[in-house]
Amino acid sequence: MELLSKLEILADAAKYDVSCSSSGSNRKNVGKGLGNGHMAGICHSWSDDGRCISLLKILLTNECIYNCVYCVNRSSNDIPRASFTPEEVAELTINFYRRNYIEGLFLSAAVFKSPDYTMELMVKTAKLLRQEYRFNGYIHMKAIPGADISLIHEAGQLVDRMSVNIELPSNEGLKLLAPQKKKEAIIKPMGFISSQITEKVEERKLYRKAGNFVPAGQSTQLIVGATSDADLNILRLSEGLYNRFGLKRVYYSAYVPVSSDPKLPVIANPPLLREHRLYQADWLLRFYGFSSKELLQEDQPNFDVFLDPKCNWALRNLHLFPLEINRAPYEMLLRIPGIGVKSANRIAAARRFHSLSYDSLKKIGVVLKRAKFFITCNGRYYGEIGFKENLLRQSLIGELPKISNQKRDEGQQLSMFSLLPEVVKPQEILTTVTGEF
Amino acid sequence: MYYYIYDGSFEGMLTAVYEAYYRPERPEKILRQNSIQENIFVSSILIHTDEEKAGKVYHAIKEKISSMALRNVFYAFLSEEENAATKVYQYLRLGWRVGKRIDDYHAEDRVLALHQLSQKVSRETHGMLGLLRFQKIEGDIYYAEIEPDHNITALLAPHFARRMADQNWIIHDVKRDIAALYNKERWIMTEGQLQEEIALDEEEIQYQDLWRKYFKTIAIKSRKNPRLQKAFMPKRYWKHLVELKGK
Repeated sequence: MELLSKLEILADAAKYDVSCSSSGSNRKNVGKGLGNGHMAGICHSWSDDGRCISLLKILLTNECIYNCVYCVNRSSNDIPRASFTPEEVAELTINFYRRNYIEGLFLSAAVFKSPDYTMELMVKTAKLLRQEYRFNGYIHMKAIPGADISLIHEAGQLVDRMSVNIELPSNEGLKLLAPQKKKEAIIKPMGFISSQITEKVEERKLYRKAGNFVPAGQSTQLIVGATSDADLNILRLSEGLYNRFGLKRVYYSAYVPVSSDPKLPVIANPPLLREHRLYQADWLLRFYGFSSKELLQEDQPNFDVFLDPKCNWALRNLHLFPLEINRAPYEMLLRIPGIGVKSANRIAAARRFHSLSYDSLKKIGVVLKRAKFFITCNGRYYGEIGFKENLLRQSLIGELPKISNQKRDEGQQLSMFSLLPEVVKPQEILTTVTGEF
Repeated sequence: MYYYIYDGSFEGMLTAVYEAYYRPERPEKILRQNSIQENIFVSSILIHTDEEKAGKVYHAIKEKISSMALRNVFYAFLSEEENAATKVYQYLRLGWRVGKRIDDYHAEDRVLALHQLSQKVSRETHGMLGLLRFQKIEGDIYYAEIEPDHNITALLAPHFARRMADQNWIIHDVKRDIAALYNKERWIMTEGQLQEEIALDEEEIQYQDLWRKYFKTIAIKSRKNPRLQKAFMPKRYWKHLVELKGK
């Protein structure tokens, strides 16, 4: 088969894997070979769906012995099949890399013959790149569930990142949609990789040249919307993975219908908004000091469609707000809707020299669209509406209720009494704005 | 009111800053030579670039403020914006007063103005590390054409010298007619146009086709989002991208 057709088949088969990050590794270009890592990662292009292209993301083969219902490569699916040789993958990677198309390789594979056989081929590819081609660019390799630990150990010493995809966030989902896969087969390699990473970090404290094991850490992917799992379950799982296995990233992938199996939900469009909310919450877990139980509870296990998780949390905890921007501790600055890590850092740095006004916040680059409802600057409140949950919710979701512009610039002293009568329910506002529902 | 006019070089700009401290005439603006605006209320003072004076300013920034400030100043210079030198001057005046903490003054106009310039340059540089495309041409050379908004070729070169250490390459800024050349040993900057027509290596078209095929295939059709794509990758860069040329 011609290389061009192979590439088409095996890139097409890999496209549902979300991860494309090339960050976290600063591998050096040793001995004047080719390539190096870039700590922050580099995006090289953006495809028509707006996702960044950083790595050459392909499957080594899409011939699979498994028949997981949700997967496009399941053995019962009638699609063209192809396999690369390790040499072909290496040539392609090197030639794309030399032209600066890519940051490296993301190699995955369907399970061909057996997990061990497939993993062996993948390791061979990585070895070829590292040793024959002296390639020091980024390699992300999928660990095949069920492959022998010694193979995963070997792979880990060659590549920058490894991932084992959990895909289905609960045991029930797994039993229903991927009955041939066992939870243990997924968790075992994850645990192994995580312990090896920790071990190497310790070793390197003693001997500088102890070598690397998956320096950019491990990641995983969860499919959203293929099973009935609630956001709360998914988020708890992620939290567990971050805390227990020290994962670098959990990716969420809105389920794209690839099969009409009766076990799968019938959907018209992938649940992109839900995916987006999960990413927002994921960031809150990793960078903003939130825990999953603050964001979602049993009685409301799914995220609000209309409001982001942080706004939602703030509205449920109004007693903590408004925060005085000049005095609030850093951890609390991070909890203000609309203020991110960068803004919080800048505020903390700038307020050491002089007190910050509403205008200085603008200059610093703080986005005040949401933040203004939750802060005071030197005691003044700029939210322009009464500090009540229903009013705030209304303003955050849709249009601002009209009030006189006269005080817009000078701000208002905060009053605990609403300035406005209760106007309309947020639902109704949204309906008028979007014309939906 | 006085405008200082410098020759457009980095040393020229630093000399102007030096002169601003030692001449009786305080400059309202510091401008590049060819950007002179006629204005009857303004007298222009031509600044002659002086390596020694520039060197003094260079070291004074590094030692009395910080190397970060020096980097910011250099990046602002590379932005080639008309008011860059004036903004640099004002930033430095404050910098020599408050010292190394200057970059924490996020709400201060003079600092903000300079940060915005230097950020534009570092953002474009980082973007171009990904968006630059080499073509293999005859003679085993990888050749890239770029047309960046800012003068960033010299900032790109070290990255590619580390990364593509075992290949000959040229990064050619066709807008400014300057180029960085690398010969597997070291890189240099040169000026002027290319002399010869470029002939592609015989393998080149094959890999461009493969890349275009990959680019097209990797997108998920049901998630199509051209606005997002353009937000990350503005259209003005498409001209030199193998995968988007002519779209």
